[in-house]
Amino acid sequence: MVVAGLVNALAFICLAGLLALVIYRTVIDGQALSAQIGPAIGLIGAVIVRSISQVAQERFGQLASARVRQLVRSELLEQWAARGPVNLAGRSSATLANHWVEQVEALDGYFARYLPQQWLALLVPLSILAVVFWLDWLAALFLLIAAPLIPLFMALIGMSAERLSQQHVLEAGRLAGHFLDRVRSLTTLQLFGQVAQASADVTHTAEQYRAVTMRTLRVAFLSSAVLEFFASVAIAVVAMYIGFGLLGYIDFGPAPQLTLFSGLFILLLAPEFFQPLRNLAQHYHDRAAALGAADALVGLPPTEHGYPLRRRALSAGPRTNSVIAEHLKAGYPGRSAVLEDVSLSIDRGEVVALVGPSGSGKSTLLSCLAGFIQPEAGDVTLFGQAPGAEPVAWLGQKPFLIKGSWVDNLRLIAPDAELSAMHAALEAVGLKDVVAAQPQGLDTPLGEGGRGLSGGQAQRLALARVWLIDAELVLLDEPTASLDPESEAEVIEALLALARSGRTILIATHHPAIVAIANRTLRLHAGILADE
Amino acid sequence: MNELRPWLALIMTKRARLTIGALLIAATFFSAIGLLALSGWFISATGVTAMLWAAGQRVAFDVYVPGGGIRFFALTRTVARYTERIYNHNTVLGLLADLRSTHFSALARLDGATLSRLRAAQWLNRLTADIDTLDTLYLRLLAPPAVALFGVLLVCGVIALFHLALGVLLGMALLILLCALTFGMAAWAMRLSAARVEQLDQLRTLSIEQLQGLAELTAAGTLARHQAQLLQASHSMLDDQLKLQLRVALGQALATTGVLICVLIGFFGALWVAEQGVLSGPVAVLITLALLALGEGLAPLPGAFAQYGATRAAAARLNQQVALSSQLPEPTAPHPVPGDLTLNWEAVDVEHAGIANLDLALPAGTSLAIIGPSGCGKSTLAQLAARLIDPDAGTVRIGETALNQLTLQDWRAQVGYLTQQTELLHVSIAANLLLAAPDTTDAQLWHVLEMVELADMVERLPARLDTWVGESGQQLSGGEGRRLALARVLLKDSPVVILDEPFNGLDKATAERVRRNIEPWLTGRTVLLLGHAPELLPRADRTLTWSELQS
Repeated sequence: MVVAGLVNALAFICLAGLLALVIYRTVIDGQALSAQIGPAIGLIGAVIVRSISQVAQERFGQLASARVRQLVRSELLEQWAARGPVNLAGRSSATLANHWVEQVEALDGYFARYLPQQWLALLVPLSILAVVFWLDWLAALFLLIAAPLIPLFMALIGMSAERLSQQHVLEAGRLAGHFLDRVRSLTTLQLFGQVAQASADVTHTAEQYRAVTMRTLRVAFLSSAVLEFFASVAIAVVAMYIGFGLLGYIDFGPAPQLTLFSGLFILLLAPEFFQPLRNLAQHYHDRAAALGAADALVGLPPTEHGYPLRRRALSAGPRTNSVIAEHLKAGYPGRSAVLEDVSLSIDRGEVVALVGPSGSGKSTLLSCLAGFIQPEAGDVTLFGQAPGAEPVAWLGQKPFLIKGSWVDNLRLIAPDAELSAMHAALEAVGLKDVVAAQPQGLDTPLGEGGRGLSGGQAQRLALARVWLIDAELVLLDEPTASLDPESEAEVIEALLALARSGRTILIATHHPAIVAIANRTLRLHAGILADE
Repeated sequence: MNELRPWLALIMTKRARLTIGALLIAATFFSAIGLLALSGWFISATGVTAMLWAAGQRVAFDVYVPGGGIRFFALTRTVARYTERIYNHNTVLGLLADLRSTHFSALARLDGATLSRLRAAQWLNRLTADIDTLDTLYLRLLAPPAVALFGVLLVCGVIALFHLALGVLLGMALLILLCALTFGMAAWAMRLSAARVEQLDQLRTLSIEQLQGLAELTAAGTLARHQAQLLQASHSMLDDQLKLQLRVALGQALATTGVLICVLIGFFGALWVAEQGVLSGPVAVLITLALLALGEGLAPLPGAFAQYGATRAAAARLNQQVALSSQLPEPTAPHPVPGDLTLNWEAVDVEHAGIANLDLALPAGTSLAIIGPSGCGKSTLAQLAARLIDPDAGTVRIGETALNQLTLQDWRAQVGYLTQQTELLHVSIAANLLLAAPDTTDAQLWHVLEMVELADMVERLPARLDTWVGESGQQLSGGEGRRLALARVLLKDSPVVILDEPFNGLDKATAERVRRNIEPWLTGRTVLLLGHAPELLPRADRTLTWSELQS
């Protein structure tokens, strides 16, 4: 891409040289225009090369940027997976999704334009300078003096702009968020009769925002003005120097050797000398946007809510008939361990209830078994395999349902499920009649978060997935905690069917009816497990 | 174009500023043309003069007028550019203020049901992004093509003065190029650029699904497949974007090539005419360089017009929102608020909440608690009572008067409603409280803060009452924010009070203290309490469960 940019600049140099040559020959030498076929062909060739190299330059940048963004996205997905659901629970999914979508998009300009332009801003002026130096070293000196002054002045202005903007960043941030904030709180404003006042506020704040922003912009735009000033002055000085040189008013240095050819050539190159710098200044905000985005992307703190998940090499040990945890110690950094020394053994086909007061570590134990968190010490094997090696069915307090049809919701977890299997699974959880009543059967759309279903129906729909993925181990974390009594009864009914199906089930619960289903009850208290 | 009409009309209210802004852009552009063209002419003219002098001819050459011209253009280009940028950004920020207040007024008329449909953060962010897109309409889509058009006309007009046919030929060629770079580019990129917002939305939805279902997906071992699906979606979005960018790159190359071809036509044309003796060599150089300088005005057009589809789509979305009307009609002949504040829900239907033919009475001066799980629809009763929504069928009455016979303002002044979702503004603690009663003394503020057990906490803050609450109350904990919202309702001191899960996010001990503090205050008011369980609510005269209520 930098090469394409350089070719582009060289094509322009040829173009300028040939234009100057033809003018020199026809105007000064008095040659006939019809004798200029050679340069004319050269000119057309230069135009073609310049066009092609321009497209190539853009294209290479775009492709590189798309590749980088896709790579960053895949990297972020890996990070999410490595952290696991428990460690990520403290972060808003909207924020993380915003990182994944918008912030990654914000990297585009930096990789597609700014980064290669940084090189071009150095290489293109240097090659032009070389040509001008060969033509007339004094003119090259003018350009050389002007060029380094530009970054210097821009740096000075940039620094003062930075100070100014730091000063205003808090204020401006508040003002910019003002509108969003008022829209979000419209209900409250309506309830308190403050809508008219808020409308006036919004107008007033936008005015204030303008004042604050303009103060910063006035300084920020100085940098582009400086660039413009040097570019203009350099062209003017070069033009005057060449003009006076041609007239023979300047005896100094190489001036007496100037011709209309070299003079025009230099003049045509002068604006092109500054163009890459101006482009760089234009793309400067790309850099700022990308830096902001990069801050957010790197900002997933390593161990905010727990130890990172280290996926062990999944050992394909011999299959056994029990779920075993030995001397588990687990917790979250900055807190004392939630599980102290927990050992348990559950045989295939057993239904075990896990009880204990809230905060006693029930969820932590389930998370260890599911492989969501890494225990500090101890070992877990599920039928001889490491957690994560084979599918496990998981159901929390709130079912995970997406906006989509029944089928979409089932396929999300069990991508290969057949329609007949889905009907069977829904029948097993007692949803057969509900599905039959849907206008489009399994293709009926559900609202976001299962809107349109009762709490019990939603939880049973999630339970139907357990049947579909045919997992041997089922882990349930207070599946009835947020349900009303009727829904609770329905879910317990579905759990009974599940228990009868011969699966190995561990349920964290407070509910006596569920405890009654279990073959065995384990009580967790202050990180210590006891049989009951 | 129709989508943009209302916004263009809004922009055009600043016609004078816009004209001056465009003139400044034009001044910058013309100075650049002038600087290059005049310098070229000057050099060529000096070259020719020097040649004549060498041949022994005595011709006069005034170096001062063109020299002054060059210096003038060099200066105006800098000054015009700086002034233009400041002036136009000032205008655009002014437009932003207008756009936002127009849009806010439109939204503020909406009822609760419509608003809650719109509330998703995604929608809000898109709203601001859409408004931002429109506020640059002028700087990207209106001023630059206008200035480029004038530039073309001016340069070709000057050429036509020297040689009519050459000027007309170049003018035609450049106008066709201009159309291709604006209208052509817009049409060519329309579908791709309009689809982008939707693609980003889809990506966001998918990634949120993965995050929310991370536990289920990880456990079931299907995470890898979902990841692959997400990356595939991202890949196809990037693919479409690359297609769009390719079109932009080709458009930009067309701009460069088109201008250079016109330069060559002008160059050889002018030299050929010069050979006939119609114009001089230096003028031929002037023409060539003026054409070359036109490139600066045409180069940004393809990039801007490729986004036309996105701009139009943004305008269409905003139009849709402005066109939403409130479902809450104001009475033509409003009744006064009756003395008897007994609330009656009479045979009300609310389809979206699954409420059918519901009857309920809340006698004036008594309290009623309704118990049910979150999301069961009990909040809908409260919204009906505060008239954030109207029932699909049936009537809500206060005393003998139907609620829709009162003005919204009169009725809402009677109701203090703590909504299920805590809504705090991004202002100070005091300002949040003052929403309820603008003329309140600090002593009264401290009093309500004491009632919700927040006084000690606020006292310890360095700025005390003037401490800013983070966006959506983020600098307060969930429980503190909840209590601040409760304090605001207490401060309103209204005869009708609705508390929807008031102690959400409070620990048991605090909830208990707050409950003891506010129970005396609630006595004698008409009170509707909503919650998961009776022990999470203040004491009520009557308690109903949601399932009892529905049967």
